[in-house]
Amino acid sequence: MATEQKAATEDVKMDLFEDDDEFEEFEINEEWEDKEEGKEATQQWEDDWDDDDVNDDFSLQLRRELEKNTEKN
Amino acid sequence: MAYLSMGEAHRRITDYLNRFSDAVFSQDGASLKQLLSLSANSPSLLSLADALNVFQDANRLIKQSEKYAQYGEIIAPLFRSLQSYRLGNLVDTYSAFEKAANAFIQEFRNWESAWALEALFVVAYEIRVLAERADKELASNGKSPEKLKGAGSFLMKVFGVLAGKGPKRVGALYVTCQLFKIYFKLGTVHLCRSVIRSIETARIFDFEEFPKRDKVTYMYYTGRLEVFNENFPAADHKLSYALMHCNPNSEANIRMILKYLIPVKLSIGILPKDQLLEKYNLVEYKNVVQALKRGDLRLLRHALQEHEDRFLRSGVFLVLEKLELQVYQRLLKKIYIIQKQKDPSKAHQMKLETIIKALKWLEMDMDLDEVECIVAILIYKNLVKGYFAHKSKVVVLSKQDPFPKLNGRPVNS
Repeated sequence: MATEQKAATEDVKMDLFEDDDEFEEFEINEEWEDKEEGKEATQQWEDDWDDDDVNDDFSLQLRRELEKNTEKN
Repeated sequence: MAYLSMGEAHRRITDYLNRFSDAVFSQDGASLKQLLSLSANSPSLLSLADALNVFQDANRLIKQSEKYAQYGEIIAPLFRSLQSYRLGNLVDTYSAFEKAANAFIQEFRNWESAWALEALFVVAYEIRVLAERADKELASNGKSPEKLKGAGSFLMKVFGVLAGKGPKRVGALYVTCQLFKIYFKLGTVHLCRSVIRSIETARIFDFEEFPKRDKVTYMYYTGRLEVFNENFPAADHKLSYALMHCNPNSEANIRMILKYLIPVKLSIGILPKDQLLEKYNLVEYKNVVQALKRGDLRLLRHALQEHEDRFLRSGVFLVLEKLELQVYQRLLKKIYIIQKQKDPSKAHQMKLETIIKALKWLEMDMDLDEVECIVAILIYKNLVKGYFAHKSKVVVLSKQDPFPKLNGRPVNS
C-alpha cells in the first residue's frame, strides 16, 4: 500500500518535467550535406488541393443528400 | 567490480591528471572533452571512478604537483562527482559537477582563444542531463526537484561568457539550445525570450555563421514557440528552415519538426501528402487532412477527439480546432459546385436551409441563426465572399472567386 502511494506521487511529479518532443542531440562534430532526402520532406506538400472536383464519395453522398431534401420540399 | 590494487588505482588517477593537464597545456579541446563526458560512460572514466573509490584520498595526489594543483578547483569536485556517479548517487553527482563546471568556466573565461569550446559544450550538455537525472532521484525520494532549474541558471551564466564579441561567440547557439531543452521541459518557455533577443538582434554576428546542428535545433524550438503564439508565418519559416537543413539521417528529429510544421501548414491551407504522413508515422493527421479535402466537419471532429491527448500534449490542439472554419468553407464550396452543375443560373444563391441540411447529414444540428452566424464569420474572415439576403434566408455569393484560397497566408483574425 505504502509503495503504491509513493509510485503515484512520483508519476505526478515527473509529469511536470516532460517534453515529449525533445529534439535529439546532434553529435558535437556532426556534419552533413543538405541532401535529397531532406528535400523530399520539403516537397511533399500540396497547395492546389482545393479543386472543383465533386466526384469523390463524400461529394456524391452530399449531392444525394441535398437532392433528397429538394424532392421532399 | 574486480579487485583493484592501490598501486593500480594510483596509476589510473595520475594518468588522468596527466592527460588533463596535457590537454590544457597543448590546448587540445578534443582530448579535454573526453575527460569531462561523465554520462558517456566511457570505459576509461568508469575505471577511473573505480580507482577513486578505492584510493579515497585523491586530493593528496592533486595537491602534490603544481602541474595538477592549478586545476584542482575543477578536478577535485569532478572526481567527487565521478565517484558519486559510479555509486549511483545522482544528486551528489550533479552538485559536485556543478562546482567543477563553475571552476571550468572561470578558466575558460581567461583563455583568449576558443580552443576549449568543444569541452565547454560537453560541460553544458552534462550539466543538463545530470540535473535531469538528479531531479528524478529527488522526486522519487519525495523531495522537490530543483536541479534542472539550477542548471538553467548556470547555463545562463555560460551564455553570458560566450555571447559577447570575439571568437567564442560561435558557441553561444549551442548553449542556447541546451537552455531551450531545459525551459521546454520545465514549462518555463517565457525564459527563452531574453536569449532569443540576444541571438537575433546582435549585429556583430550573422546567424548563418553558427554551426548547422545548432541552427537546426534553434529553429525547431523557436518554431514551436511561434506555434504557441499562433504566429503561423513565422512558425512556417522557422520550422521549414529546420526541416530543410536537418540531418536527413535523423528521422526522429525530422518527425518532430513535422509534428509541428504540419498543423502550421494546414492552417495556411497547405496539406502534407499521404506518403509524408506514413513515412514519418504521423498518421494522426491523416483524417484531419481528409476532413479538409472533403469539407467533412464530422470527420474533423472525430479526428480531433480520437487523438485529443496527443494533440493537447504537443500543444497543437487549438491550432487544429481552428481548422474548422476552413472545413466549413470547403463544404460550402462543394454545395456551391453541386448547385452550379444542376442549375448554373441559381448557383450563387445559397439557401441557409440547404446548409442546415448538409450539416444535419454530418450530424450537426443547427438552426437558422446559428448557420447565419457561421456564414457571417466566414464572410468576415474572407473565406467566403458574399452577403446575406436576410429576409429570404439566402447567402448571395460573389460571382468572382466566392471562396478565396488562403495561398499560404493564415485566416484573418
